[in-house]
Amino acid sequence: MSATVLGLSAFYHDSAAALVQDGEIIAAAQEERFSRKKHDPRFPARALNYCLEEGFLDPAELDAIVFYDNPLLTWDRVLKNCLQAGESAWEQFNQACRSVLGIKVWVRDYIRAALGSLGRADRVLFTEHHLAHAASAFYPSPFEAAAILTLDGVGEWETTTLGLGRDRTLELSQVIHYPHSLGLLYSAFTYFCGFKVNSGEYKLMGLAPYGEPRYYRTIRDHLIDVKPDGSFRLNLDYFGYLDSNYMTNAAFHDLFGGPPRQPESFITRRERDLAASVQQVLEEVVVLLARHLKRETGAPNLVMAGGVALNCVANGKLWREGIFEGLWVQPASGDAGGALGAALLGAHIYLDQPRRRNPNGRDGQKGSYLGPAYQPAEVIAFLERHQYPYERISDGEVRLRRIAQAIAEGKVVGYFAGRMEFGPRALGARSILGDARNPEMQSRMNLKIKFRESFRPFAPSVLAEEAGNYFDLDVESPYMLLVAPVREARRLPVDAAAYAQAEDLRTIINQARSDIPAVTHVDYSARVQTVHPADNPDYHGLLRAFKDLTGCGVIINTSFNVRGEPIVCSPQDAYRCFRRTQMDLLVLEDCLLWQQDQPPFADTEDWKTAYELD
Amino acid sequence: MRQLFEYHPVIGYRFIPGVKARVPHEGGGYLMRANGSGFRCRHEFTPTKAPGVQRILLFGDSFTAGEGVSDGQRYGDRLETMIPGIEVFNFGLPGTGTDQHYLAYQEYAAGLEYDALVLGVLVENILRVKARYRIYQNDQGDEVIYAKPYFELDHGRLVLRQSPPPRKPLTEAELPPEERESVDRGGRYHTLRRVVKRLGLRDLAQRLTHYQPYPEYNDPMDPAWLVMQAILTQWIGGQDRPVLLVPIPFYQYVEQTSDPAAYQERFREVAAATGCSLHDPLPDLWRHSQEARRGFRFTRDPHLTAAGHQALAESLAPALSRLLEGVEAGG
Repeated sequence: MSATVLGLSAFYHDSAAALVQDGEIIAAAQEERFSRKKHDPRFPARALNYCLEEGFLDPAELDAIVFYDNPLLTWDRVLKNCLQAGESAWEQFNQACRSVLGIKVWVRDYIRAALGSLGRADRVLFTEHHLAHAASAFYPSPFEAAAILTLDGVGEWETTTLGLGRDRTLELSQVIHYPHSLGLLYSAFTYFCGFKVNSGEYKLMGLAPYGEPRYYRTIRDHLIDVKPDGSFRLNLDYFGYLDSNYMTNAAFHDLFGGPPRQPESFITRRERDLAASVQQVLEEVVVLLARHLKRETGAPNLVMAGGVALNCVANGKLWREGIFEGLWVQPASGDAGGALGAALLGAHIYLDQPRRRNPNGRDGQKGSYLGPAYQPAEVIAFLERHQYPYERISDGEVRLRRIAQAIAEGKVVGYFAGRMEFGPRALGARSILGDARNPEMQSRMNLKIKFRESFRPFAPSVLAEEAGNYFDLDVESPYMLLVAPVREARRLPVDAAAYAQAEDLRTIINQARSDIPAVTHVDYSARVQTVHPADNPDYHGLLRAFKDLTGCGVIINTSFNVRGEPIVCSPQDAYRCFRRTQMDLLVLEDCLLWQQDQPPFADTEDWKTAYELD
Repeated sequence: MRQLFEYHPVIGYRFIPGVKARVPHEGGGYLMRANGSGFRCRHEFTPTKAPGVQRILLFGDSFTAGEGVSDGQRYGDRLETMIPGIEVFNFGLPGTGTDQHYLAYQEYAAGLEYDALVLGVLVENILRVKARYRIYQNDQGDEVIYAKPYFELDHGRLVLRQSPPPRKPLTEAELPPEERESVDRGGRYHTLRRVVKRLGLRDLAQRLTHYQPYPEYNDPMDPAWLVMQAILTQWIGGQDRPVLLVPIPFYQYVEQTSDPAAYQERFREVAAATGCSLHDPLPDLWRHSQEARRGFRFTRDPHLTAAGHQALAESLAPALSRLLEGVEAGG
C-alpha cells in the first residue's frame, strides 16, 4: 500500500516540513528559507506548501501528518521546572505559558488553516522530540542496523538518548533528562562568549582552535560530572536557565573571571580558551557515550542527530577514534531535521512501510538536496522580467569550464544550481565559491562578501575521489559534518612564537598554513565536503573542471548568504544577495551574470540591520 | 512564492512553460502545472490528435485556468471525466480578456487539430477588453500597472493596438494622465468597493443596491461591447468547426444579487449572428440552493471553488456532448 506522510517541526527554532512517500524522502525544507527570517520558529506554512508542491499532492492525499514533538510533555517539563525553581522562575513561567499554551497546543488548527485539510485520516499524529531525531538519523542512513545517539539542548524531558535501529524498528533504551544537557552546557558557553544561543554554537566551535583548553579542568571539576559510560550531570548552581532567562549566573561568571563578553566586542584570549575548553569536554563526553553504545549494542555503525551532532569537530574526533566501522550524521540535525524524522516515523512505524535503502549503498538523504529547484525557464523569466543582463550557456561542460576559469582567476562566484539543501550547510546548490589556494581569499570573502568576523574558517569542497590527496580522511563527508586534518605534506610552517603570544586573532588568521590556505584552519583542520558525482553531478563537474584547469581538486564553499541572512532560496534571493556584496559572478542555473554588467541596484531595505546577528 | 508568468509579446504574458507550483490560497492552496507552451493544461499542445479522441480547445481567463483550485478540479478537467473520449486543451490565462484569448488562439491553436472550440467568457471580461492596462502585484507585493494588447474598431474593423506591449510595468505616477481611465481596476467605484469589501459588507451592499457590475452590456451600441462583439464575431466566424459560446456568470448573477438579462441578451445576439451554439449555465446553477451557490466561490476570493467548477461542468457537459455528436472522432 502506498503511503504519503508529511512531517512538521515548529515553535522552538528552525521550523521545517518534510514529505516522505513510500519510505522515500521526497522533499524537506526549513521555513527560514522562504520567510527570510533566520531560524524562523513560526508555523512552517511556506515550507509545507513547498513540500506539497514538490510531491504535487493535495493535502487530502496525505495518509498521515506528524508533528515532531509532544507539546503536552514539554508543558509538563516547563511546569515542573518552574514549580521546583519557585518564585525566581516566575518570569520564565510567564514566557513559557505564552509560548506553550499560546501556540503549541493549537498545532491542528494551524495545519487545518494552512492546508484546509488534515489529510485522509483527518488527524495529526504527535511523536516525541528525540524519537524524531533518532528516526532522522537512522532511516536515511545507509546502514541496516546502527547504534543511535541523539544529543541536543532539550526536547520535552530528554537531552540525550541512546538506542538501536534495525531495519524499520527503533528503540531508545537510555536517556539523560533535563536539566542535564550537553547541548545546554555548550550553549551556556556560547552565550558567555558573546554569541547567540541556538545559532552561535558553530562560531564557538570555530573559535576553539584559536585557544588553549586552560579551563578544561575547571569545567570538569565544577560544571559537569562525567561518568565512564559518558553519562553526565551538570552542577546547576552555575546555570541560569532553570530559573531565569539567562544561560549562566553570577557563580558561572565568578568561575570564569567576570561577566559575559558583549556581542560584537573584541574577542579576548579568555573566550578563545573557553571555547577550546568546552569543546574538549564535549568531545570527551561524545566519545565516552559512543564507546558505551558500542559495548551495549554491539552494532557496527553509529548514527547521530540533534543539534550537538552538528559539531563537526567532535564528529571528526569520534570518527578517528575508530569505535565504529561506519558513522552517519543527519545533515539537518537541529530541530528542522525533526520534521523529517517525524515523517519517517509516520511512514515506518505508524503506516508499517518497509524501509527503502539505496541499492547503490549510498544513503537515502539524496545529498540533502531536498529543497526547491528552479528550472532554467523560471530563471530566464525572472531575469527578463527585471531586464538584468545575463549570458546563457546551455552547454554544461562549457559553462562549468567558464565558471572554473573565473574561480581560478580569483573571482568570487555565487552558485545557484539544482535543488536547495536541507540543513544548515550549503553543499554546492546555494553556495559562494572561491579559490582555496588564494591566500587573500578568506579575508576577502569574510569582509567583502559575508560581512562577518574574520576568525571563522571557510570549508572546502573536494572531489570525493581526491579527498585523500588533501586531507587525512578515509571516509566520505558529503554533508560537511566531519572535520579532518589537512595532510602533513601540504602544511606550511607557522611562526609558533607569534601564535603563542597573539592577543589579536588577526595576527594568527593571516598566516598561510597550507597550499590551500583559505580552507585550512589555525589547527590545520578543515571542515570537509566530499563531492560525489552520484549526489551532485553538476557540482562534481565544476570541481573536476577546476581540477583540470589548475591541478587542484579543492575549492572554497561557503553558504550563499550574508551574515545573519538565511541561505538564499530563489533566484530573486540570490540576485539580491549578489548585488549587496562584492561577488564577481552569479551563476543562476545556466545563466551567468557579471557584477560589472548589472544596472544600479536599488535596495529596498537596510539589510545590515534587518538580519539579526548570531 | 514562485514567479508564475512571463512576458509574451503577443498575448502580454503566459505561464512560464513547465512551471510547477503550489499556490497559497485562502482555500488551502492549489497545485498547478503549465505545459511546454505556457498554459495551465495537463496536455501538451501536440498538433495531431490521437486516434479516437475528440479534442476541445477551451479558452478563457482565471475561471477557466482554475485559480483557487488544483488541476483536475477545474471545469475543463471535470468535462474530460464526464464525457468519454475527449481531451480538453485548456488555454485559460488568468487576468486576461477575450481580446487576449483571441490572440492566444491565433498564436497557439490555429494549427492544431480539434473538433470543437469552447469560448468560456467570464462576463467581467468586457472590462478587460475595454482596458489598455491592468493592475498586478509585483514580486514585492506592490501594485504595478502592465500594458496589454487591445483591439479598437476602425470603421468596423478590428485593429490591434499596443502590440507588442511594453515589458516594463508602470507605477500609477508613471501612467500618462490620458491613460488613467484605460486601467482595468476590476469594475466601477474602485475605492468604494475596497472600503465595503474591507468592512465585510460586500454581499449586503450589492443586494441592497441591486448592483450592476457591468453596465457595458446594457446598450448594444456600448463601445466596449461593440469591440467584444467584433472579436467574438470574427473569431467564431473564422471557424469551420463547432463553437460553443459560454458566458460564465460572475457570482452576483449566480447568487441573484444582480440582473443578468442585459449580458444574456448580448450573448444571444452574438450566437444568433454567428450561428454558433450558446450555452448559458446560469439557469442550471440557479437550480442549486442558495447555500450551495454561495459555496461555488471562496469566502473572499470570487473565483470558483471545486464545487463551483463541478456545477459548471455538469451544466456544460450535455451541451458539449450534443455539440460533439456528429463530429467524427479524428485520427
